[in-house]
Amino acid sequence: MKIQDYLNTDYAQKCREAYNKAKAIQDKTNATITFIDPQKRLNDKLEGRLKGVAIALKDNVSTRDIKTTAASRILDNYIPQYDAHIVDLLNKEGAVIIGKSNMDELAMGGTNLTSYFGLCHNPYDLSRISGGSSGGSAVLVAANVVPCAIGSDTGDSVRKPASYCGVVGVKPSYGRISRYGIIPYASSLDHVGYFTTNVKDAALMLEVLSGRDDRDMTSSYNPVENYSELLNADIQDKKILIFDNVLAAINNSEIVDLFNSLVTALTDKGAIIEHVSFNDDLLRAMLPAYYIIANAEATANHSNLDGILFGHREEGESTDDIMINTRTKGFGPWIKKRFVVGSYALFEENQERLFRKAQKIRRLIVEEVLSKLKDADILLAPAAPGAAPLIAGQTTDELSDESLIADNHMVIANFGGLPSMTVPMGYIDNLPIGVNLTANPFKEQVMFDVALAIEEYTGLGGAVKEVL
Amino acid sequence: MEYDVVVGLEIHLELKTATKMFSSSPYAFKDPANSDTGEIDLAHPGTLPCVNKEAVRKAIEACTALNLTIDPLIRFDRKNYYYSDLPKGYQITQQFHPIGRNGYIEIFVDGKYKKIRINRIHMEEDTAKQFHLFDETLIDYNRAGVPLLELVSEPDMASGEEAALYLEKLRQTLNYLEVSDVKMEEGSMRCDVNVSIKAKGSEVFGTKVEIKNLNSINNVKNAIDYEAHRQQKCLENGEAIIQETRRFDEKSQTTVSMRKKEGSVDYKYFPEPNIFPIRLSEDFIADIQKNMPELPDAKFKRYVNDFGLSDYDADLIIANKNLCAYFDEIMQEKVNAKLTANLLSSELSGILSKNNLSFADNPISAHHFAALVKMIDKGEVSSKQGKEILNEMLKGEDPESIAKEKGMKQLSDESAILAIVTSVLDDNPQSISDFKNGKDRALGYLVGQVMKRSKGQANPKLANELVTKELAKR
Repeated sequence: MKIQDYLNTDYAQKCREAYNKAKAIQDKTNATITFIDPQKRLNDKLEGRLKGVAIALKDNVSTRDIKTTAASRILDNYIPQYDAHIVDLLNKEGAVIIGKSNMDELAMGGTNLTSYFGLCHNPYDLSRISGGSSGGSAVLVAANVVPCAIGSDTGDSVRKPASYCGVVGVKPSYGRISRYGIIPYASSLDHVGYFTTNVKDAALMLEVLSGRDDRDMTSSYNPVENYSELLNADIQDKKILIFDNVLAAINNSEIVDLFNSLVTALTDKGAIIEHVSFNDDLLRAMLPAYYIIANAEATANHSNLDGILFGHREEGESTDDIMINTRTKGFGPWIKKRFVVGSYALFEENQERLFRKAQKIRRLIVEEVLSKLKDADILLAPAAPGAAPLIAGQTTDELSDESLIADNHMVIANFGGLPSMTVPMGYIDNLPIGVNLTANPFKEQVMFDVALAIEEYTGLGGAVKEVL
Repeated sequence: MEYDVVVGLEIHLELKTATKMFSSSPYAFKDPANSDTGEIDLAHPGTLPCVNKEAVRKAIEACTALNLTIDPLIRFDRKNYYYSDLPKGYQITQQFHPIGRNGYIEIFVDGKYKKIRINRIHMEEDTAKQFHLFDETLIDYNRAGVPLLELVSEPDMASGEEAALYLEKLRQTLNYLEVSDVKMEEGSMRCDVNVSIKAKGSEVFGTKVEIKNLNSINNVKNAIDYEAHRQQKCLENGEAIIQETRRFDEKSQTTVSMRKKEGSVDYKYFPEPNIFPIRLSEDFIADIQKNMPELPDAKFKRYVNDFGLSDYDADLIIANKNLCAYFDEIMQEKVNAKLTANLLSSELSGILSKNNLSFADNPISAHHFAALVKMIDKGEVSSKQGKEILNEMLKGEDPESIAKEKGMKQLSDESAILAIVTSVLDDNPQSISDFKNGKDRALGYLVGQVMKRSKGQANPKLANELVTKELAKR
């Protein structure tokens, strides 16, 4: 499904269909936390670039008067009093929000297995995970329910599920889209992202969602370009860097073959291909550094969830007791583990050794990627070392290069605030696998252009997988 | 044994800004509970802080006035702790890079100036206000997020009196700057005190005791004096001083133990990721500094050096900000400063209080007041008449017309007065001979007669001169 399908048609009918379909696939996918009947919105006169386009929001996007849980028990009754900045923008452009999608609890996860509302199933194989944390949004786009769904991306939470679910997933530059109203995970790494079925829609969505917002001091004043109009698949002389460390760390040769064929095709289209290699030790330090920074910020970011002012409350003898009881019962065990890690890294006696060291590693990695991209346009690598894992799980060696590097390299774009996106690369055993493109800060246009060239080669623009 | 008392103060000031430190919610002390709040102040999920530029301006003014070095790179940090008055579960503050460092102010104590050093000033946000009832806690979030300045002094004060002078000086300076309301009773100025004592002249500091809950400068003074005395008695009785937090009990005028310090809390400070460091341009800072109102110290120097006022009069005027502004406005008309100061302090304040008016309600325009000063200074009216005119001026009329209406214009026409003098001398030959025989009193009598015949309108100075001159001729 494409955004174009909605424009100049009976969008009301399509929105109702989308809403009904979201409900219909719920039993199989569990992709939605809250369904929003579009009828009320459809009574409004809609205008704008997304006139009548059905859209789903990850359930960490604040929606006024509509429950917003971030898939956590501690917010299972929380109804925001305000709309996130991007909700204002979507409303202004005529979009119709039909649901709040499933996610990992507080966006802290990469599997969607940690949701308080249960895990989310992959449309291509319901016994497999959707990936996370923006799993529900990826599924709703992949299952042909909506042409676009909003997610958030702190490590690879849009781009990884996009790979697993065979859709386009975009995380633009830090500051490109306002974070105001997005329930945070880790502020310095959080980005608003989104899913579409094709690159053109992805370019259009960025036009709609981007721009300076005075309520987010980190949002950028850089002018928003007409990405979708300027979109051009001509990649003659575009310089593309092949991320060799990632390829070397992937054990699945089919993925490497798929990727190499793609690279050959890009060469044929006139792109200049160059292989780059990062310091492996630095890359091995990437995930631990990410884990420390993200969880340190998260433990502070979620200190507001204490049952005093909003959300779930467990009673107690004193306000201290209320806070302790609420937090004890409100969070899942994986969240508590992350808070412990984050707090530990911030203890005065540990800060230098853990938190500040992680910041140094982050800076070194960013310096390295920026220096490599200095004279180039795109850093290219498979988005994951494999297709979506089975829900039942499989044992992985978390300290292997495949896990540390190939499965987590997309964190680099969060470290540096670089625009990064995943587009479908092909299928292995009928399961989709994506390719990841990362560009220089605020060079989204060239990222979209190369992505379009890839899409033309794969022919996977608009690809979906019906569940019913 | 003799002891030195060592006092350091930590002061929190609410900044006088229209909106909060990181949100656009308004704040006023008297607003109904929980009316000055929005999603940011209540830490609703997804909200982000936005730095109040006006608060930064005021912080720069305060740093400048108190001689601190300003860090042009504004950075904020998170101070993490759980408490029900802290909606976010962390406070945004400036732990690592305060906006100002290493300043001082001077207090006047024991006949000389003493520097009290200020270690740092930083910006932060206030917490909510809690009210503990029997089995309930009520929370008013109006105060949550109100901009605060924290000022940390060096332990440079040696008594309750010095601490009080320091506070008074800070209060006056910041009040002139309009940086803060500086009202201790309303909590816009809060003060925590650290007191220790050590053997006289010793380099080794004693154990520090912190005193909280001080809501007036007088209480600060009394608490320090009591606490120093208590500590001295402890030592004399061979007891150790315990590091603890005490509160001042107003009723008994004593300090009472609140809690022992058991290791310091780890606030897990780290840089606030939602606010990038803000680089202030030199022009931005210079512009603020250039447009700062004149500070009390500068005013004092100007009044004493340029206007020739006494220290006492200068202090008296500066002590009241409204009076001081009025004085400055009057002095725009370049009138006699001493006479103005005199009239303001001895006459106007009396007249206002007699009419139940505060200085803020003073109906007399500076221009009219200046006119009156000029009339007295030139001898057009006597100072006694001036007082009467001032009374009438409360109705808003100008002094010239009042004097005219009342027929009070002083006679300064020399020939007219000379005529009266001549007639008085002609009528009092006895007095003339008395004067010639060395009875000085006769001169006063004759001048009195002149004043009487002129119905009090003769310029007394001129009358005196003319009588003396005419006597010499006889």
